Amino acid sequence: MSSRPDAETGPESDPDAETGDEARFAGRGLNRVEDRRILTGEAEYVHDEAPDDALHMALVRSMHAHADIESIDTEAAENHPGCHLVLTAEDVKADYNPMPTGLHGFEEWSLADGKARYVGEPVAAVVADDRYVAEDVVDLVSVEYETREAVVDPREARENEVVVHEDVGTNVGDHEELSFGDPEEAFEEADNVIESSYSWGRISGVPLETAGVVADYDRDADAFDIDCNIQLHTLVDDTVYETLGYDPDDVNLEVPPDVGGSFGTKIALHRYCSLAAMASKAVDRPVAFVEDRIENLQGGDMHSTQREYDVKLAVDDDGTFRGLDFWFVDDFGAWPRYPVNQVLKPLSVLTNAYDVQDARYEYDLVLTNKTCQTAYRGFGVPAHLYALEMVVDEAAAELEMDPDELRRRNLVESDQMPYELPSKNVYDSGDFPAALAHVQEKIEDERDGGLLDPETVAEKREEGKYRGARPTVHIEPGVSGSDWTNRQRSDRDELDERDREDVAELPEHLRAEIREDGTVRAYLATDSSGQGHQTLVTQLLADELGVLPSDVDVSYLDSVEAPTEYGTAASRMAVMLSGAAQGLGETLAANLETLAAEVWDCDEADVTYRDGGVHRVDADGSLSLAELADADDDGDLTRASYDYEHPATRLEEFDEALARKFPVYPTAAFAANAPIVEVDANTGEVEILKLYSLRDCGTQLNPTIVEGQAHGGLAQGVGAALQEEFGYDDSGQPQAITLFDYRLPSIENVPEMELDHTETPSPFTATGAKGTGEGGMIDGPASIACSINAALEPLGVKADRIPFTPNRVRERIREREGE
Amino acid sequence: MSADDTSGVIEYPTEEISLSINGEEVSAEVEPRHKLSDFLRDARGLRGVRVGCEHGVCGACTVLMDGRAVKSCLTYAVQADGTEIETVEGLADDGALHPIQESFHEEHALQCGFCTSGFVMATKELLDENPDPDDDDIETGLADNVCRCTGYQNIYDAVHRAADRLETGETDADETHAGEDDA
Repeated sequence: MSSRPDAETGPESDPDAETGDEARFAGRGLNRVEDRRILTGEAEYVHDEAPDDALHMALVRSMHAHADIESIDTEAAENHPGCHLVLTAEDVKADYNPMPTGLHGFEEWSLADGKARYVGEPVAAVVADDRYVAEDVVDLVSVEYETREAVVDPREARENEVVVHEDVGTNVGDHEELSFGDPEEAFEEADNVIESSYSWGRISGVPLETAGVVADYDRDADAFDIDCNIQLHTLVDDTVYETLGYDPDDVNLEVPPDVGGSFGTKIALHRYCSLAAMASKAVDRPVAFVEDRIENLQGGDMHSTQREYDVKLAVDDDGTFRGLDFWFVDDFGAWPRYPVNQVLKPLSVLTNAYDVQDARYEYDLVLTNKTCQTAYRGFGVPAHLYALEMVVDEAAAELEMDPDELRRRNLVESDQMPYELPSKNVYDSGDFPAALAHVQEKIEDERDGGLLDPETVAEKREEGKYRGARPTVHIEPGVSGSDWTNRQRSDRDELDERDREDVAELPEHLRAEIREDGTVRAYLATDSSGQGHQTLVTQLLADELGVLPSDVDVSYLDSVEAPTEYGTAASRMAVMLSGAAQGLGETLAANLETLAAEVWDCDEADVTYRDGGVHRVDADGSLSLAELADADDDGDLTRASYDYEHPATRLEEFDEALARKFPVYPTAAFAANAPIVEVDANTGEVEILKLYSLRDCGTQLNPTIVEGQAHGGLAQGVGAALQEEFGYDDSGQPQAITLFDYRLPSIENVPEMELDHTETPSPFTATGAKGTGEGGMIDGPASIACSINAALEPLGVKADRIPFTPNRVRERIREREGE
Repeated sequence: MSADDTSGVIEYPTEEISLSINGEEVSAEVEPRHKLSDFLRDARGLRGVRVGCEHGVCGACTVLMDGRAVKSCLTYAVQADGTEIETVEGLADDGALHPIQESFHEEHALQCGFCTSGFVMATKELLDENPDPDDDDIETGLADNVCRCTGYQNIYDAVHRAADRLETGETDADETHAGEDDA
């Protein structure tokens, strides 16, 4: 492992080198303000928050994938001296509502009602003195099941021989076929049609911190305080208050400042919130719940994308891509989980970095007897890019073209920017060919005496070790809008007639006040889980107000105080928070000028805000922030809030996509990757020897954080490509319920990375930032799979099933050997 | 739905243990089934001890027992009787971060931070035994811990930096970048 190759972006570097502006903190690799409390053990995660008088909840979970619940005997449990409560679906249904689901027509209760549909589905909840006792009590709840055959394979599920929801009548919860341009003509006229199938295994984020809740019912106010590490707490709070049947103002959902990772997976924690709240109301005490790791892995509603693809590429003999055709089955598990809808996001990068205008996109969203699917970093895009890059590799092989040349020939050129995709999303800016050329050069260098030196490659091959690298380019769509995400609950026929004016997007809210000591306190309306939002807001507000970052501190708003907004998802925060901080800073500065003019009884034109205070233009005199705070009797002018509008709302380019509810992602961060892999044909093991990447997320607001996000994302990409998977047996029993089976990448699995960065500022955003939170996981797996294809070309083996685990590699090699 | 509120009636067996935690002598009654991680977190308020998996894979709960890294989720509190336990809370010296903590901060070797105390304690064991580890030593020394946010490259860099700091005796206050760090 070499020292960090990107010293220019690290904390050691000259912080002003990139901006050339000594006064500014944005753009600098400022170390994080969050770190100290974490490093000293003072951080407070939700697992730490149970008050002394809290009782503890544990859940009775189904051990069957598909079974009728014949009876539940709670008597022995209730007789346990440490038990305070046992809840079943019967109790929940008497007083509360079903949980909102992601598609119409499903009625899901917080506890399984009459039938269990996946292993780990909560069937009863118990509350006891502590978690140890609660688990004793769980063992005393006796549930009688009548087991049924389970449906596990997503392609088979479409045949409805076993139906997960009889009242719905089909396992195909949703289906859509979308056509853009004229794909039929493209496929008819093209010289060649390449067609193949690919699988993307069931993976997820698996944050180190499991879900946790502390719910406290206030009998006097008839209201709830719920602390939970849920993600998007101001957006998805409806899943909790609707389930409880309370007004939004009476369900105060709060996320602690420190959350131990989420990556999208914690959006769907509403069941835990609701059950803990119901339990708290029943026992009149605070109730805490901490999910354990086995619960998290088997039935925590936290799995993510699982897909089966049939992909076609229409391509002319000269390598010109004419059309693309995606058909896939997405396995949602037992229930369509609100608010997750990741089959559509790939439309925002339908053709990846390639210039193709004719495409078809069709999916079946199926239900099976598996745990429910939630969001995960990239939200359905990683699988799409993987399937697309695989078929491009097959085309290169079939046309006997150099894959690098084939890719290069079809990339969108920088002078085509902004580039409208057939699916109506728009890429803002970027130079994809230059990015590809950069990593190609790195690989060429490695062929000259490096890891890919022909002599070394030949020697290794003698030992059965196959090396290869294949550069690729990938788009990371950033800054999700909100309107499209309920497309699947909308009447599709009405979408054609929809007006642009019918679309409302969610802004990002930020507020701040100047305190009497002259410091600034800002309040985030979103939650965060390690991305450094406090640092980002601190450095941007310091810039806007001309103060030091140490004069700014940042705290959080709960779901009642904060307006409904989208929050932390889809790489939104760099763009949305920076826009909000800039707008808020300007608003506050203007307010303070008004205030100073009042103090001095002069014209506002005669004062100006700069360097952390207001100065008189026409005479001597200045007022510091502390003096201004002191002068502001009613506090109106030293407090301000700002809502940064979603960039697409003011850009005509996105009108059609918005009106038709196609995914709108107004920024196109991108990366060119070239992992060098070595596949051991004897063991099937894939080792990544080194990973080159050129990354561009527009303006880098904090290069240290940008770099950290890239490292972390790529590490997850390595896991997804090679080792992570939630397998199931034919009866629906999950095969990965510990971290021994669900193999997170360790320090031994993640390769040395050499990352370079360019900056193509977005013309669509306030600060030029594009967001960078999902990269790595979006682009890692596809690029690793392409390099595996390059390495295994001599053996005729393709990386057609992600993750490409050693047993699968061996299986594929044996199949070829048998031919 | 309801159960009688019989809180406190149940009596579980307990044993008395005496141990040193971050230099403080402690005696307590614990149930034999209680894990050391739960004892440190719940009975002693040391919430820097994180619990990520409770089956010994993630390493977030790593503490030092008589100088050796142990997974406190796989250790019963009664097994800690008579030992010296060190947790991340014991590292900072009068407010000044320990060189390992400071190095993790400077190298951005943490994001969500849930794994961080475990990594810091594992690093402490590694550097106590081997003040000048190479990358292979670090890989071996930290292979029992999982980080899900940060990747591992910055963690290698942090361990190297910590080794340098410990060798030169450089402290938090000496660090030339301290001003920027105080942001």
